[in-house]
Amino acid sequence: MLKVPEHQVAGHIAKDGKPGPLVDDKGRFFKPLQGDSRGEIEVKFYESFSSNTEVPDHIRRYFPVYHGTQAVEGSDGAAMIVLENLLSKYSKPSVMDVKMGSRTWYPEASEEYIQKCLRKDARSTTVSSGFRISGFEVYDHKELSFWKPDRKLLNGIKVDGARLALRKFVSSNTLSDTSSKPDSAFASSVYGGSRGVLTQLLELKTWFENQTFYHFNSCSILIIYENESIHEDGARAQVKLVDFAHVHDGNGVIDHNFLGGLCSFINFVRDILQSSDESTDN
Amino acid sequence: MLKVPEHQVAGHIAKDGKLGPLVDNQGRFYKPLQGDARGENEAKFYESFSSNKNVPDHIRGYFPVYHGVQLVEASDGSGKLPHMVLEDVVSSYVKPSVMDVKIGSRTWYPDVSEEYFNKCIKKDRATTTVSLGFRVSGLKIFDCQESGFWRPDKRVVLAYKADGARTALRKFVSSNSLADDSVPDCAYASEVYGGSNGILMQLLELKAWFETQTLYHFNSCSVLMVYENESGGDEERRPQVKLVDFAHVLDGNGVIDHNFFGGLCSFIKFIQDILESSDNRCENGH
Repeated sequence: MLKVPEHQVAGHIAKDGKPGPLVDDKGRFFKPLQGDSRGEIEVKFYESFSSNTEVPDHIRRYFPVYHGTQAVEGSDGAAMIVLENLLSKYSKPSVMDVKMGSRTWYPEASEEYIQKCLRKDARSTTVSSGFRISGFEVYDHKELSFWKPDRKLLNGIKVDGARLALRKFVSSNTLSDTSSKPDSAFASSVYGGSRGVLTQLLELKTWFENQTFYHFNSCSILIIYENESIHEDGARAQVKLVDFAHVHDGNGVIDHNFLGGLCSFINFVRDILQSSDESTDN
Repeated sequence: MLKVPEHQVAGHIAKDGKLGPLVDNQGRFYKPLQGDARGENEAKFYESFSSNKNVPDHIRGYFPVYHGVQLVEASDGSGKLPHMVLEDVVSSYVKPSVMDVKIGSRTWYPDVSEEYFNKCIKKDRATTTVSLGFRVSGLKIFDCQESGFWRPDKRVVLAYKADGARTALRKFVSSNSLADDSVPDCAYASEVYGGSNGILMQLLELKAWFETQTLYHFNSCSVLMVYENESGGDEERRPQVKLVDFAHVLDGNGVIDHNFFGGLCSFIKFIQDILESSDNRCENGH
């Protein structure tokens, strides 16, 4: 039985007859193959990546497991990419999608696409900060419900807004109330620690300093953590790379666009971690 | 007595009555303050940088020393103009090979005029800036075979694609003939790029600073690489990396210079690859 995923924060959703992703109850995520060449490129990437013996195991775990493609009932027989459902092991996940890179366009793209991307990149924090927050959903421990900022609001944020969003993402206090300051209560459980987000991002960064296999144009980093029993069991924060519709061969050159953005994002996360550590010291 | 610098490879050149930088015989470089905001911006950067206590000393060494602004007879005969007085980074070299590499996958930055943006992005896309994160701006390499300098035409350099950039970086450290199509031998790769004081080590030191510094965004800046060719009894190559051209530097405002950092890492990878392949060749007795 396939149903619409509960916690999708960015990308296409099933709406008005147009296909969107689906999930089953066996931990799989079904992503419709996008028209034009994008779906093809994404499949080509997953096929290449799955069989690329030069990708170290500890890096492989930052990518969704690929289960091939399938024609699926109820989607007019259209082919879908079958992936690991990254949220299936979480019961109350907070999720954030961050598009990495100071540009989302790339030399191989069409002129029209490049212009569209340039406009969007300039309006968002992509150009200024090397990344932009595409969407997020966070669990409010007071309201006992999920909160999601307005998509339009998110598109217009600047650097301070991005910082605030990253703080809100790890806070427990009332998020829909904009007058109260986010408490960053979970900053150290989610961002910090030997298996926290920062450590994982740093591991990825090391790989990006040398890998010349792929250029991850317009890819996102998904950050997920568990809210259920967070105080007793910890946050189980996970970083995953997603959305490979625009990935191209590296051709012997590192993905300097992604790497620069990743390094900038790491600094934002580190700043929040440090300031939250300082405030607990006080 | 001020004269036109011999070894300038990029930027405005004081030749044929044009306005450009000058050098004296005391190791100083005089850069005219350009009419628009750029000269002012560059001087402002140097003033800020010279007195910025948050810049560690070992990083300061990668920047030309600043000696303030002086009124100096301009190279185009237009009289006394304000000039920035800087350390002449090649003055201690007798026969320097020099290469100027503009770092970053974009040379434009937020809030520039549409005209400037269009000019920059056109050039960025036509060169290796977008694809590699850096582009070779100029070079002047001492050719041992010819006993003279090889300096390819600026238009040729700007037309380099990835292969051209790689070849130029190989030729930069080669002893065989540079002007023809012979495969560069990378004979000096380990002395210039490698070693504990080589270019790679210096670039890695800079990279570590760029991972966290949020003081400045070095838009459109170049890395200048210099080394000595004069052989006079165990004269070392003294390879040096310097950052130059700060007309477009802006405040970092709490964000790292991700544009420069990405490009720098890509450039480092190119140097590492050349070093590794030249090391392999030595091991194989080629």
